[in-house]
Amino acid sequence: MNRSVLTNPYVLIAPGFFLAAFIILWPLYELGTIAMSDVNRFGQIRGYAGFDNFLSVFRDPEFLGALARTGVWTLGIVFGAILIGLPVAMILNEDFYGRSVARVIVMLPWAISLTMTAIVWRWALNGESGLLNSGLRTIGVIDTNVQWLAQAATAFPMQIMIGILVTIPFTITIFLGGLSSIPDDLYEAAKLEGANGWQIFREITLPLLKPFINIAVVMNTIYVFNSFPIIWATTQGGPANSTDILVTYLYKLGFRFGRLGDASALSIMMFALLLVFTIIYVRLAMRGDDK
Amino acid sequence: MSLNWIKSAALAGAAVAVLASAAQAQNIRVTVAEYSSLTGPYFQDAAAAFEEANPGTSVDIEVVPWDVLLQKLTTDISGGVNADLSIIGTRWLIDFVSEGIAAPLDEFMDDELTSRFIPAFLEPSIMDGQTYGLPIAASARAMYYNTELFEQAGITEVPDTWEELKAAAEAIGALGDDIYGFGMQGNEIETDVYFYYAFWSQGGELLNEDGTSGLDSEAGYAAAALYKSLIDEGLTQPGVTSYSREDVQNLFKQGRVGMMITAPFLSNQIRDEVPDLGYGVAAIPAGPNGDRGTYGVTDSIIMFENSQNKETAAEFLDFIFTHDWRVRFTDGEGFLPVLASVAEDSAFADDPDLSAFTALLPDARFAPVIPGWEEIASITSDALQNIYLGEVEIEPALNQAAERINAILD
Amino acid sequence: MSFKLSRKWRRTIISWLLLSPLIILVLFPFAVMLITALKPPGEVLRPNWWPSEFRWSNFITMWDATNFGRALWNSIYVAFLSTAIALVVSIPAAYAMSRFRFAAKGFFRQFLLISQMLSPIVLVIGLFRLVVWLGLLDNVNSVVFVYAAFAIAFTVWMLQSYFATIPKDLEEAAWIEGASPWQALITVFLPLALPAITVTAIFAFINAWNEFVIALTMLRSQDSYTLPIQVFSLVAGRYTIEWHHVMAAAFVATLPVAIVFAWLQRYLVRGLALGAVK
Repeated sequence: MNRSVLTNPYVLIAPGFFLAAFIILWPLYELGTIAMSDVNRFGQIRGYAGFDNFLSVFRDPEFLGALARTGVWTLGIVFGAILIGLPVAMILNEDFYGRSVARVIVMLPWAISLTMTAIVWRWALNGESGLLNSGLRTIGVIDTNVQWLAQAATAFPMQIMIGILVTIPFTITIFLGGLSSIPDDLYEAAKLEGANGWQIFREITLPLLKPFINIAVVMNTIYVFNSFPIIWATTQGGPANSTDILVTYLYKLGFRFGRLGDASALSIMMFALLLVFTIIYVRLAMRGDDK
Repeated sequence: MSLNWIKSAALAGAAVAVLASAAQAQNIRVTVAEYSSLTGPYFQDAAAAFEEANPGTSVDIEVVPWDVLLQKLTTDISGGVNADLSIIGTRWLIDFVSEGIAAPLDEFMDDELTSRFIPAFLEPSIMDGQTYGLPIAASARAMYYNTELFEQAGITEVPDTWEELKAAAEAIGALGDDIYGFGMQGNEIETDVYFYYAFWSQGGELLNEDGTSGLDSEAGYAAAALYKSLIDEGLTQPGVTSYSREDVQNLFKQGRVGMMITAPFLSNQIRDEVPDLGYGVAAIPAGPNGDRGTYGVTDSIIMFENSQNKETAAEFLDFIFTHDWRVRFTDGEGFLPVLASVAEDSAFADDPDLSAFTALLPDARFAPVIPGWEEIASITSDALQNIYLGEVEIEPALNQAAERINAILD
Repeated sequence: MSFKLSRKWRRTIISWLLLSPLIILVLFPFAVMLITALKPPGEVLRPNWWPSEFRWSNFITMWDATNFGRALWNSIYVAFLSTAIALVVSIPAAYAMSRFRFAAKGFFRQFLLISQMLSPIVLVIGLFRLVVWLGLLDNVNSVVFVYAAFAIAFTVWMLQSYFATIPKDLEEAAWIEGASPWQALITVFLPLALPAITVTAIFAFINAWNEFVIALTMLRSQDSYTLPIQVFSLVAGRYTIEWHHVMAAAFVATLPVAIVFAWLQRYLVRGLALGAVK
């Protein structure tokens, strides 16, 4: 009896599986029902609507803009975090004085709730009272205050920058794990053969890090695509929807405009989009590994 | 000894259970919007006093930040777990009434209760002859001006038209690099309303006679052109589209803008935070034909149709709309009195700021009774932000916004 | 010897120089929080970096003005309990994943990945109805329950990668000596796994501590607010924002957790990376 419980993996994973499935599948089912229904402003179901809600989302002029911006947002942050994270991880993998302190500092943003980070940045980016402008003025980078959040041209890059900053710790964590798994012998051998730093990076570090880069891409894409607080707390998608991404647009649809049917349809489309992306990416990445 | 102790504990437990179930029968929940840090404590105290005066009742207060109030109400109603009473923006009321969510209050209201209110504020909550809400908060908008800046710039007359305002803004803007003539709101809640002040003064109306949007009119174009020229000529603070109402008020409190239009609660903030600031309150400037309009806005407290304790809920409404409780609320939050007796109270009747606001009430316009107000407001604000940023031409932008609004109004 | 030392010093200087832009950006929000929190109320709107005096009493007035104590207790309760529940169901699952080959293993792994794809904001209407159906609305336990379920993917992932590094031989040796599987598990495996469990627990704790959207939807009254919601309510639509209180609250709410988290990151490096490539 005891033996069978401890050696039957199905019994062991059952509690975790059912708890997670319950809390995810039930809401997903509810969401599907609402998406296919005619619902009023308060989420009360009035009848069957087929795919009307999906069509209505497609017809909304804001939808395509938000979709395109979600692409820029996600790609910008995911690749920005990798481009910055990789060299930083390589530095942090070196032996130098104060390395553990540096690691601690770089990891800090992960520990703060995104909401609080975004609220602090909103205050820091304030045109007249914000400390960013006064800091930049002091060191002479700018001589008049920049109204960072007044137009998308400055607001959106700032939001992506904040996004990169909070994504870097997770990315670096993955890379540091990867770097520590590369045996030192390989580097020694390459050095003996006279390889320079760039050759070592291209021929040894990068190929061996590939699986780690892949996992960083997949996980970060999922998190960033769904990330709400940074944009919401700084601009609420404004001015004039010019910084809206799909999640903020979804929130407005559902809870500002009372179009809950449309919001549910959009939720399902977003989930499908992520699922397709992940499957394609994982397939491609795996095929690359087989070669 | 120990046995007795167990027995009495069990008895006490049973008694608590009985009390709890009795209380549950007359337990009401009230959702309130958080206007300031005083709102929560105010309603907690009112609930406690009500419970004391009505043994056997209990009132649970749920304090919700304004920004997420509509979201909470939506999810609550969708799940069928809404409270018994809730504060809502009166502009949303039509949606609540047409879906059968708000209960008519007439059967609980006698003439005495009705007569306590200033009619202008009760009016927006009446639909099809039925009262669906009681005005819990009311405000109007007026122009605040900084008397010290006026003096330094040599302005003796408070501007009464937009032309005069423009001249005054120029004089004040010349005082210094970080001093601006007119504080302009261009972000977040009520960006559209800030535009309506100019729109109304040009003779515009939000809805045409045939029920379509009035934005694509000469008045709309003229008002937008006026604001755009203020921005382009540097008479407002820079970066208008990043300034929420709260941000502009902050500039005013720092003495860095000459004039701005806002609600009476700014007076309370000045009293508490910068009591030395010299300021005055005047009417919103008039247009070329002498038209002017201020925005009157009320929030209503409504009762839900599915409430199981309508009697108790109605008693609680009656209770909070008594003189003393209203005095405390109005004083704390800096709104206009909604009860006639409170308006006559010397604390408010002798307040020059409040008098300035009440004098404007005949010109006040309330949000029109149309469904989907928040979406319409958002379309309007988006168009305005694009105009302020110079991304689009005025006429096509307003025409397109009007077209989208008409699609909702249909 | 001295040559080697100077090489390390050179590396140190170059490394810190290269890292400095990132480090400045990371520390900048903390500086903003602390400086704003210490300004006298009248100076908050002035963008000067150095206040005329450091008003430490802001932290005390903040405590009362923001109902901080209550929210702090709620956050501790929610984070602690949800972590405990997540661990209780995740430890057996992770043990199974690291010790056995079984047909549904790949499926379970994919299920965990997919469960990460649904952002709470996407699910929030459905989750809300679930919580209503369970009768847990405005009950901090609703949040506990949802956090625990959402944490499972992460905790299983972390734990199984650690568990896999504990040699199976040790348990088998105990069996041969006559111990039952339960005894072997408790006396041999768990003591070895304890550090891993502790670290995983702390990360689950921090995630719950920082969560926003679910708490915002499920919790109604100020008595049940957690810290992120309490801080958010200070800036969300009030007619005036007391930034020095907001920043003081944000600072007190984040710094201790941030330090513990950052200190533990070296354990995380191993766990996440191992889990990632398996």
